[in-house]
Amino acid sequence: MGNFLVWVVWFLAAAGCLGSGVAVVSLSNPFYSALALIGNLASLAVLYLLLAAEFLAAAQVLVYAGAVMVMFLFVIAYLGGRADAPWAGGPPLLRTAAVLAAGALLVEVVVVLGLAWGDDLMGPAEVSDSFGSPAEIGELFLTDHLLAFEITSIVLLVAAIGGVVLGTARETEDTE
Amino acid sequence: MTPETEWWVSLIQALVVINLVMVTFAYLTLAERKVMGRMQLRYGPNRAGPYGLLQPIADVLKLLYKESFYPAAAIDWLYLMAPFVAAFTALVTFSVIPFGPGWEVSGVYIPGQVADLPIGLILIFAIGSIGIYGFIVGGWASDSKYALLGSMRTCAQLVSYEVSLALSVLGVVIMAKSLDLTTIVAAQQDTIWYVVPQFVGLLVFLFAGTAETARAPFDLPEAEQELVAGYHTEYGGMRFGLFTMSEYINLITLSGLCVTLFLGGWLGPDWFGPLSGPIWFVLKLALLLYLFIWMRTTLPRLRYDQLMRFGWKVLLPVATLNAIATAIVVVAV
Repeated sequence: MGNFLVWVVWFLAAAGCLGSGVAVVSLSNPFYSALALIGNLASLAVLYLLLAAEFLAAAQVLVYAGAVMVMFLFVIAYLGGRADAPWAGGPPLLRTAAVLAAGALLVEVVVVLGLAWGDDLMGPAEVSDSFGSPAEIGELFLTDHLLAFEITSIVLLVAAIGGVVLGTARETEDTE
Repeated sequence: MTPETEWWVSLIQALVVINLVMVTFAYLTLAERKVMGRMQLRYGPNRAGPYGLLQPIADVLKLLYKESFYPAAAIDWLYLMAPFVAAFTALVTFSVIPFGPGWEVSGVYIPGQVADLPIGLILIFAIGSIGIYGFIVGGWASDSKYALLGSMRTCAQLVSYEVSLALSVLGVVIMAKSLDLTTIVAAQQDTIWYVVPQFVGLLVFLFAGTAETARAPFDLPEAEQELVAGYHTEYGGMRFGLFTMSEYINLITLSGLCVTLFLGGWLGPDWFGPLSGPIWFVLKLALLLYLFIWMRTTLPRLRYDQLMRFGWKVLLPVATLNAIATAIVVVAV
């Protein structure tokens, strides 16, 4: 019973993920595309939950579905979301080529993963009880992934300073 | 370690807690009008029932029986969905707030909250950030300039102050070494209520919380004189009621969170037998809610640039410094 429920939830979340992903690129109204992207990120959070990564799921919703997408919607609503994007669609040849390229990429990813891990993908992974807990993620950040963690923080700091600089420049222009 | 909870206990508890929260909301509106009335030298509602105690019921009936019309240009499904998203997320978040230590009644364990999660604190912020979509999408789908401007303001304000709010609780998290609200309360039992060591955090939390719930003096999103009513200008009847409900319930949840993080949650002298926990929790909650009403009657609204400057240039640095100082002290001691 429990296992069946997991399958149902997994299927719904996976279908939601794919469906909303297609909707993001196929809808012509950018406001709807952004809403579909929120759905996509939320379905991903459900998949994380199924993988016993509650903290990651909550962080995903908080940061991406919450903060980042609010800024997307904010900008789209300000610029008038109802106007169709002029770049939507494109000539049929371009669209076919895009679909083919995406399919080729997918095959490539599957083949590379299969070659690299092969037999390891057959059985479920062994994880400890504390897997995905905030404490364990924090420890990984400060041990195995310290370099990536620090570089990311520097990139974010640069982005924050850049935002302040751009914002200040425009302000002085306005007052002149 | 807490014992296992039966699923039907959780179900009954969820129903009871949701209804209690909604009753609290209904009487909070009455209390707000009464207290504001007294502070402004008038009576407040006193016609429906003794002391106006039936006023909330009359209000709900009025909202339910109103005709629900909406703008012809509104985008139907988004317009209809928005109040539900706002109300749902507001109601869900209260489920992780602990109001008691848990009880053993004739062999059945009743936990002190609906859902005990190791990441309860983050969950409140995560679901709260989804609730913002109710406000922004509702304002956008109404196809009205007032509503759009109101939802833009709501959005900008909530995003700005969410950062300070999250940073202000970081000090508590560092001291309790946990994101689990029950553990945080238990840690305060062992040491001291965090209002003492985290007083700066509490102040930032209260300011940012007032802005998060768009209450005076930070009620710019619905500044009546400029925007009619903000993002819910085009909503009427119970749809408007759901938006109002979600705002008040967000305020209740935020006060509950404040009680849990800074004021020792359900802790207090054992004066009322087994019900001491919930009674102390409710008393502290009532005190905070009174504080919010008091602020609304006392303080005039800020200007928009003042609001943004205060959020980014005062609250955010103070909250960051508080978190860093707490981290240094905790590591050093």
